[in-house]
Amino acid sequence: MDRALFIAAGGMTAQQQNLDTIAANLANAEVAGFKGSVRQFAELGAPDEPSLGTVALGERVQLTQGKLAKGGGPCDLAIEGPGFIAVDDPRGGIAYVRGGAFARSADGSLRDERGLRLHGVNIPSDALSMAVAADGTVHATFTNGTRTIGALKLYEFPAPDRLRAIGGTLFEVTPESGAARAIESGRTDGPAIRFGMLEQSNVSIVDAMMQILTAQRAYEANAKGVQAADEMLRIANNLQRG
Amino acid sequence: MDGIAWAGSAMEAAQSRLDIATGNLSNVSTGGFAPLVARGTLTQNGVSVVAERGARHSALRPTGRDLDFAIAGDGAFIVRDRNGMISRTRDGAFVRNRDGSLSDVLGRTLVRTELARGSAVRRGFLETSGADAIAEMIDVVWAQRSFESAQKAVSAIDSTRQHAADVARVK
Repeated sequence: MDRALFIAAGGMTAQQQNLDTIAANLANAEVAGFKGSVRQFAELGAPDEPSLGTVALGERVQLTQGKLAKGGGPCDLAIEGPGFIAVDDPRGGIAYVRGGAFARSADGSLRDERGLRLHGVNIPSDALSMAVAADGTVHATFTNGTRTIGALKLYEFPAPDRLRAIGGTLFEVTPESGAARAIESGRTDGPAIRFGMLEQSNVSIVDAMMQILTAQRAYEANAKGVQAADEMLRIANNLQRG
Repeated sequence: MDGIAWAGSAMEAAQSRLDIATGNLSNVSTGGFAPLVARGTLTQNGVSVVAERGARHSALRPTGRDLDFAIAGDGAFIVRDRNGMISRTRDGAFVRNRDGSLSDVLGRTLVRTELARGSAVRRGFLETSGADAIAEMIDVVWAQRSFESAQKAVSAIDSTRQHAADVARVK
């Protein structure tokens, strides 16, 4: 029974961690650019042996495409297809994002709500407005016409699933992910930048609610397993009457 | 074997059933998990329960992720761990490594896919756990009650013997 007791208790712990992940997804379901995670599980024990229960492994970020929606800001950027754009990491260095609501700041840079500077673009102070084309070319309109003022680079990684998610929508390079490579612009099958659009989070609220329900029931079922094991231990102890 | 030994073996069997049921129950969220089935047999030494790996496949769930794979039908992903040990898994949630190879949730490298005739690999799907919470819950209750009945049998035989001993003492 000890075995059953610990197996079932391990099942409860695993579901608890599962709920943590789902709750974090749900909390960020309305955050543009957020990528949901899933908690991974594996069976404990050898293939031909009775199971020793379960183990909750780490979370894995799901880099699937979110829906694009029209943004209301002056320079909203989203990417259709895989790829990232580079911004300043708040802790120094470079971080990668899937887009964001950027705006011109006094020094000519484009910064998002957190004040993170977008790499590769500097808007001249006399520019009236700007726009980004699908291939990343940045155009600005001046009193005397429109000029190309730069190009926004899209980056890809050898192992994008190995990027580390920092602070919601930011991703950081890890040794496992490999270094960022700029995606050649003009590739027809490559990702495209959508100016004026924002990528919604890829968390489906309905899905997350379903996951909460099943995780909760699984937690309860494992709790019943603990109870049954405990009850059987009590019965076994009562075998010997005074 | 006497009655107490028989009833005792029934208690042990119930315990094994509980171990198996809780093991399955704890894996209701493990992708591609094949539950163990408890098989009871009558031996000279009482009831014995052995666990066998069930072969039933469970439902496929769409994920939309391009490195999630599920096998529809018989087959397995053959993976190799860091020590070179080869194992089979039905959990096809892979990630790409820097060198282009694919790793499963435990970090084992995908070597090849073994498919039976008529089976197919579906991209963007994952196989859910084969453990059925309701069936396992019933097994948990069943194990508990059968443990209880066996304990009652042990107690009954025990008290009969107690009576016999008491009679002997009076004489």
